[in-house]
Amino acid sequence: MSARPVLRAASGGVTRHRAQTFVIFMVLLVSTASATLGLALLAAADGPFDHAFAAQRGADAAVAVSSAHLTTAQLAATSRVSGVTAAAGPFSATTATLSSQGVTLPSSAVVGRSSPGGRLDELTLVTGHWAQKPDQIVLSEGMGFFPGLGTKMTVPTAPGTPVLTVVGIANSITNTADAWVLPGEISALRPAGAPVRAEMLYRFASAGTAAQIRGDVAAVAAALPAGAVGGFTSWLNARQQATGNSTILAPFVEAFALIGLFMSVLIVANVVSGAVVASYRRIGVLKSIGFSPAQVVVAYVARVGAPALAGCLVGLAAGNLLAIPVLHKSAASFGVGQQQVPLWVNVLAPVVMCALVALTAFVPALRAGRLSAVQAIALGHAPRQGRGYAAHRIASRFRLPRPVSIGLAAPFARPARTAGTLAAIMFGVTAVIFAVGLDSTLSRAEEGQRLATTAPVQVGLASDNAWQPGSRPGRAITAALRSRPGTLRYVAVAQTELGAGGGLALKVNAQAFDGNAGWLGYGLISGHWYRGTGQAVVNTAYLDQTGLAVGDTTTVSTGTRSVTARIVGEVFVPGNQPALMTSVQTLGGTSANLALDQYDVGLKPGVSIDSYVGQLNSALGANYWVSGPGQGQFYLIADSLIAMLTLMMAVVAGLGVLNTVLLATRERVHDLGVFKAVGMTPRQTIAMVLCWMVAPAVVAAVIAIPVGMALHTAIANAMARAAYTGLPASFLAVYRPAGIVLLALSGLVIAAAGAFLPASWAARSKTATALRAE
Amino acid sequence: MDALIQLSDVSKQYDKDGAFAVEDVSLQVAPGESVAVMGPSGSGKSTLLNLIAGLDRPTAGTVTVAGQRIDSLSETSLAKYRRQRVGMIFQFFNLLDDLTVADNVLLPAQLAGLSRAAARRRAGELLDRLKISQHRQAYPARLSGGERQRVAIARALVNSPELLLADEPTGALDSVTGEEIGELLLELNQAGQSMIMVTHNADLAVRYASRTIQIVDGRLVGDEVSSGAGTGWQS
Repeated sequence: MSARPVLRAASGGVTRHRAQTFVIFMVLLVSTASATLGLALLAAADGPFDHAFAAQRGADAAVAVSSAHLTTAQLAATSRVSGVTAAAGPFSATTATLSSQGVTLPSSAVVGRSSPGGRLDELTLVTGHWAQKPDQIVLSEGMGFFPGLGTKMTVPTAPGTPVLTVVGIANSITNTADAWVLPGEISALRPAGAPVRAEMLYRFASAGTAAQIRGDVAAVAAALPAGAVGGFTSWLNARQQATGNSTILAPFVEAFALIGLFMSVLIVANVVSGAVVASYRRIGVLKSIGFSPAQVVVAYVARVGAPALAGCLVGLAAGNLLAIPVLHKSAASFGVGQQQVPLWVNVLAPVVMCALVALTAFVPALRAGRLSAVQAIALGHAPRQGRGYAAHRIASRFRLPRPVSIGLAAPFARPARTAGTLAAIMFGVTAVIFAVGLDSTLSRAEEGQRLATTAPVQVGLASDNAWQPGSRPGRAITAALRSRPGTLRYVAVAQTELGAGGGLALKVNAQAFDGNAGWLGYGLISGHWYRGTGQAVVNTAYLDQTGLAVGDTTTVSTGTRSVTARIVGEVFVPGNQPALMTSVQTLGGTSANLALDQYDVGLKPGVSIDSYVGQLNSALGANYWVSGPGQGQFYLIADSLIAMLTLMMAVVAGLGVLNTVLLATRERVHDLGVFKAVGMTPRQTIAMVLCWMVAPAVVAAVIAIPVGMALHTAIANAMARAAYTGLPASFLAVYRPAGIVLLALSGLVIAAAGAFLPASWAARSKTATALRAE
Repeated sequence: MDALIQLSDVSKQYDKDGAFAVEDVSLQVAPGESVAVMGPSGSGKSTLLNLIAGLDRPTAGTVTVAGQRIDSLSETSLAKYRRQRVGMIFQFFNLLDDLTVADNVLLPAQLAGLSRAAARRRAGELLDRLKISQHRQAYPARLSGGERQRVAIARALVNSPELLLADEPTGALDSVTGEEIGELLLELNQAGQSMIMVTHNADLAVRYASRTIQIVDGRLVGDEVSSGAGTGWQS
């Protein structure tokens, strides 16, 4: 086969049909960019943690052993247990209560390590240095308690209440400890009578599931005397905590990736096969001058392949560029440095798109190649006789301007192409309806979680001290709040950790409000906000992990006493950490020695948050902190993603419409000439061509409304499940009838935007030239 | 009497450096006149007709029809000019395949905003007059060539234009059907319809036009009164 005429035929088509070449280029650009972005985001769900886990040689399990009667050799021998691939330790360990600046931290796991490095669990020093003296301590970043370096911490549970100086903050990828000291210091921190314990770290050959890790730890336990292994922590828990946000986003990203993929396939197929079908006449001419079927196939695959390949490559670059800010935010939230688009994504996305193009071009090109020259010319001339005639006859009966009725009937001449375009618009409108709904749901979830509207200002003591109800710091704050005219209401809150009752060793994050807190507006999934002493609301994780339900009674331990409360509501607090909200009185009032942490402050309508915060700061002075609402990192990422992906879907759908209308105007160029010759004005021509897409857009919108709403409900619920929570019904009831109509109009907007360019070209085309066109 | 059509030094060049399709043509056509434009292929006959129809613009010179300079009109004004002042018929009919005969004929009236009833009445009259009312709900593809050309003539006349322009109206028809269409055009002219007809057919020109002009290589080389039955006067 001679290549030269084939390439010349292909390149001739590319340069002669610039608009169509441009559409193919743009469709592949946007499709590849969206595929690259979608895949990169999916990869990012696991990437940062896995990267850090590998870099820090994370341990699959940290096993607590009672080491009093074990030798180091016995423990070292566990590294040879079947399934263990690496081991580190033993590290002496104990449980201690740490206290500083009046704050007593929950019971903490303190491990003795002489350095942050090691075969496993290499610790990353975030700030300061490693302990060099017996009275120095390094805190884990995972504790969430960041006193300044040099802060003194006492250990009231240890004999003699030793005092330690904080010299560093370090990070363990799998949270193997809450704090570290030199190994020799552990015995001084161990409470009187507490067992001697050590920590062993392991990597296993199989550690992908909780069951595998349980089996691995059981094998280790079997190699030691009975009862030596006291418990263990798994890397899967740490991974779950670290990837929580990405896990929540995953259903949404997957849904968008799926919509994007469907749309890309549909539109690429429509565009590419349409381009080949539109060239049937030219194919017929080429065959009549001696092109073989194979040469025709090669020429036309090459013709659409050239702009498609260029589009793929530019789209790949665009996808990488678009991914940068999103991945940057994601990496910042994980604290794992930089994230990049993985290599496999950069290979897979363009390869799949190019393969799709080759396939969709190959089939019609092969068909054209097998046709006789005369058949190809005849097929390429116009839509099949008779198609759409009835639609024209019916449309002519409506009392509509004639260009409108002719335009409305036109899509019926090419039913398959119209169906493809209709599907593309439908996917586009579905994406818009789904995205707008999800954005509203996330906004409500953010508001329900962060209270940015009801309580936009928080006030507390700058030294991170808490205070007793009725004490001087509280009086100073309330005096300042009362003197501000913008203050609407406020409530003090004590944040504390409780143990859940029922024999379960559950740690519960509790918020006890000193006053009416119903106005804060936490989202309620079921039941109602607590209305008096003895009532509490809890989150979904609390109910799931205790097996209780709304209406049941729960018992919690404050450390000094047990409190029983009736669960009257399920509150929206995402996360797998059980949470409980109640009044200070329910937890025992002043006798419970609860310390208040902050005031949540609501403002009167129209009050500027910034100026209120500034004035309150000035009034209270340097000993207090006052903060306004920021935007949560998760919601920031989600908002960016939703906006970006929705825009891309709408652009792809618009390009699909543009392609269809472009092909139709090319096919009907002669008819357009006739219309203009008998007096159709440019404006009427534009109206007629725009109306070609009205009927498909309306049908697409009618289908897309229920699909988009159902998708929204399913994905929002999936995201909630990933965040270990249910959703209040009000978070899902985001669509109002008027809003739905407006959203459905997005189909018409997409159709009009896509059709406008070819409509303008049609209106500007020279009538005499159009009449000469075959 | 004022001229219906006035061409003054009209030239048309499709490419800047190319040959002239029409060069320095000046021409007057009076109301009611029937003019045949003859010349070999590529001589510029259709270009001249397109310039008068407002389908194309001259490179130089002015085109005035019914007192209106059309060479300087906007595209919208040209469209209105075409629908109100001019009716066109073509060699290959240029009917819209997906519209019925009635809808094809109604189209220019509907584009002009004529009331539904008035448009239908006018179309009905024309279909009757041209003896094709029995095909009003048929599609053009099912009609013979002569019937299609009658539909095209009805469409051209639906807005009662002052000028009928015909580009090789019998070129795609057999001789008998061509005769019928020629007779029909003659009848229309005799009823006062001004007409310019491009044709290769000298016999058609002589028999059905009152005046014949000759164009060769874009230039007007002849202008004479025909001996046929055309009714118009000559300048």
